[in-house]
Amino acid sequence: MATKEDIEILDKITSEFKIKGEVRRKGRIWLDAPTEDFVDLCKWLKGQGFQHLSAISAIDWPDEGMCELAYHLWSYQDKILITLKVKIDRQNAVIDSVTEVWDGSAQAHEREIHELFGVKFEGNHNLTPLFLEDWAGPPPFRKDFDWREYVREKYYDRQNERERVYYD
Amino acid sequence: MVKESTKLKRLIKAIWIFNWFNSCGFIELVPVVASRWDMERFGMIIVGSPRHADVLFIAGYQTLKSIKRARRVYEQMAAPRVVIALGACTMTGGMYWDSYNTVKKLSDYIPVNMYIPGCPPRPEAVFEACGKIFQHVEEMD
Amino acid sequence: MSERSTMTGKMNASASTTISQLQSAAEDGEYDLYFGPAHPGSGNFGVKLKIAGEIVASARADPGYLHRGFEKLMEYRVPIQNSVLSDRICVLEALNWNLIHAEAVEELMGIEPPERAKCIRVIMAELSRIQSHIIWFGAFCIGTGFDTGFKLAFGYRDYILDLFEMITGGRVYPAGYICPGGVRRDFPDGATQRIAHVLDQIGKMVKIEEMENPTLLARAEGVGVLKLQDAIKLGATGPVLRASGMKADVRKDDPYEVYDRFDFEVPTREEGDIYARYLVGIEEIKQSMKIVRQALRQLPEGEVIAPKFKRIKLATKIPEGDVYVRNEVARGEAGMYMVSDGNDRPYRVKIRGPSFLHMIPVLEHVLTGAQIADVPAIYWSLNVCPADLDR
Repeated sequence: MATKEDIEILDKITSEFKIKGEVRRKGRIWLDAPTEDFVDLCKWLKGQGFQHLSAISAIDWPDEGMCELAYHLWSYQDKILITLKVKIDRQNAVIDSVTEVWDGSAQAHEREIHELFGVKFEGNHNLTPLFLEDWAGPPPFRKDFDWREYVREKYYDRQNERERVYYD
Repeated sequence: MVKESTKLKRLIKAIWIFNWFNSCGFIELVPVVASRWDMERFGMIIVGSPRHADVLFIAGYQTLKSIKRARRVYEQMAAPRVVIALGACTMTGGMYWDSYNTVKKLSDYIPVNMYIPGCPPRPEAVFEACGKIFQHVEEMD
Repeated sequence: MSERSTMTGKMNASASTTISQLQSAAEDGEYDLYFGPAHPGSGNFGVKLKIAGEIVASARADPGYLHRGFEKLMEYRVPIQNSVLSDRICVLEALNWNLIHAEAVEELMGIEPPERAKCIRVIMAELSRIQSHIIWFGAFCIGTGFDTGFKLAFGYRDYILDLFEMITGGRVYPAGYICPGGVRRDFPDGATQRIAHVLDQIGKMVKIEEMENPTLLARAEGVGVLKLQDAIKLGATGPVLRASGMKADVRKDDPYEVYDRFDFEVPTREEGDIYARYLVGIEEIKQSMKIVRQALRQLPEGEVIAPKFKRIKLATKIPEGDVYVRNEVARGEAGMYMVSDGNDRPYRVKIRGPSFLHMIPVLEHVLTGAQIADVPAIYWSLNVCPADLDR
C-alpha cells in the first residue's frame, strides 16, 4: 500500500527527469534510469535527502547482451528506499562513477564490481583487485564461467571412487 | 640422535598450540580456550609464535590466498610437530565444494596427522582427538 | 661504585643516542608494518600500516582470506538448500542471516508466514543478537588486554548455545531452522521456561559488565573517534553509527516481522570513541532482553509453517521479479537483493554485509593518527566479521 509521501516523491522525480518509476509497496520506489546525466540524477537525489548508499549490485544478462546495475538508496528523514536500475552494454561495460556523490561507500562497492564482473567505472582512481590475488581467469561472477565444470576439471578426479559423487 | 618416539613422548606432557583459525570451523574452539571446557588445566596453552608450538590446529576451509600463509607457518614450526585439521572442509571440500577459490583437500598442501569431522566439530571432539594422539604416541616403540 | 655508575651512565648515554637516531630516522621516512591474519589481535584479516615513530600514518585494508563466492554458490541451489547455506555467511550471527534469506524468498513468492512463526523468529533473532554482542564484548576485552572479561563472556555465552541446541539441534549452526514459510519445528516442551531462566543469567553478566572499570576507561576514552559526518559519508551503519550520534535502526524505521508491536529503545551516544561503542553494545543487550520477554508473553498459538511449505517439494518454482530486503543484524544493516527469472533456483543473489563498509573505508579512516598499541582495540571495537566482508 503506497502512502501519500511515496507518491509525492515519485511525481517529483519523474517531473524533474524523464525516467519511469513505480511504487511497489510502502516505502519502496523502483526507477529505471538511462546512462546519460546519471551522475546529475544521483546528485539531485542526494540533495533530496538520500544520503545513504546501501549497496550497488550487478546482474549479468548474457542472452540480452547487457549488464544491469542497481543502486539502492535510503533516506534517513523520509524513510524511503529507492532502487535505481541502469542498463549497460556487456561487451564494453563502462559507466560513470558516483564517488563524487557518495564518496567512500561507493568507492568500495565499485571496486568489488570491477573485480568480479569486469565493469569499468570512469572517474574512480583506485580499481585495484580486492579479494583475489594472482587471478588470471575471466571475471568470476559472469554467467559464462561455470564453476562446477571448473572445479571438476581442476580439483577432482573422476577415476577416484570416493569423488565420483561430485560428477553426477 | 634422539629417537623420534622419545622426542614425541616428551611432547605429550603438555602440548602448546598454535591456532590458525581461518574460517567458520574455529568457532567451537573458542569455548575450549575459554572457561567452559578449559584446556589450560591439561597444560595446553595458545602461543603467539609458531616456533614455540608443538601442534598446529587448522580449522575450516582455506582459500588460495590463505593457504600460502598457512604453509609458511607450518614450515616455521620446529620438529617434532603434529597437524590437526578440523572440520569437513579440510577433508573433501565440505559445503563449498563447488567454489572456485577454496582448497578441496588440505593434505595436498600440508601433511595432516589427524582429521576431526564435524561442521563445526564439537569442543569435546577436540579433547578426544588429543587423547588419541597421546595414546598413539605411547604405543610407538 | 663509581665504575658501575660510569658504566650505567655510558649505557644510558648510548641508549639515548640510539633512540634519538631512531626517531630522526623515522621522521625522515616511514616504515611498513603488516598487522596480519595470524595475529591474535586481528584474526582472518590483514591491515597494511605505514608507521612514523609510534603513530600510524596511513592504513590499507587487505581482505580476501575468506572469499568463497557465496553469491554464485546460491545460484546452483534451490531455496531450501540455500537456507542451510545462509547460516554460514557470518558464523557469529547465524540465525539473523537465516532470517533475511527466508524473508527475501517469501517476498518473491508472495507468502506470509503464520503469526506464531513470526514471534518465534523474533525470539531466535534477538537471542542470536545477544550472543553476538557477548562475543563482541569478549573480543573487545582481548583487544584492551582485559583477560577476565574474555573468559567471563564466553562462559555465559554457552547458556545461549545450549538453548539453541535444545530448540534447533545445533549449537552454532541451526541447519536452516528459519526457512522460507516459517520455522522448521515448534518449540519443545519447557523451552519458554528455559529461555526465561537463561535471560536471568545473562542479566547477571550484564550487571558485572556495566561496572565502571578504571583500567578499561583509561584505555578506551578518546581513542578511535569517528565523527558523525564521516560516519554517514563512509557508510557506517548499526552500533557504530549510533555511537556517533545518529538514531537509526532498521527495526524501527522500516519494520519487518512483528517488531512494530514491541516497545524498545534505540540507544545512542555522542562521542564516537571506543568507550561509546562499548556502552551502546551493553545497552543493546538489555533492550534485546526486553524484546524477548515481551515476545514470550505475547506468543500466540497456531501453526509454525505456511501450508504451501508443509510438504517441502524441492522443485517449487519462484515467480519472476526482484526484491531488496533490509534487516538489522547485530553488526549493522544487512541487505539481500534477489532476482528470479521463473526457475526453481534464484538467478542472482547479492548480499550486502554491514562489515563491508566498516572494514574498508571506516577502518582506514579511524586508524589514521592512532598509536600502534591501540590498533587491536580500535579494530575490535568496530565489531567486524571478516566472513561477511569477503562472503
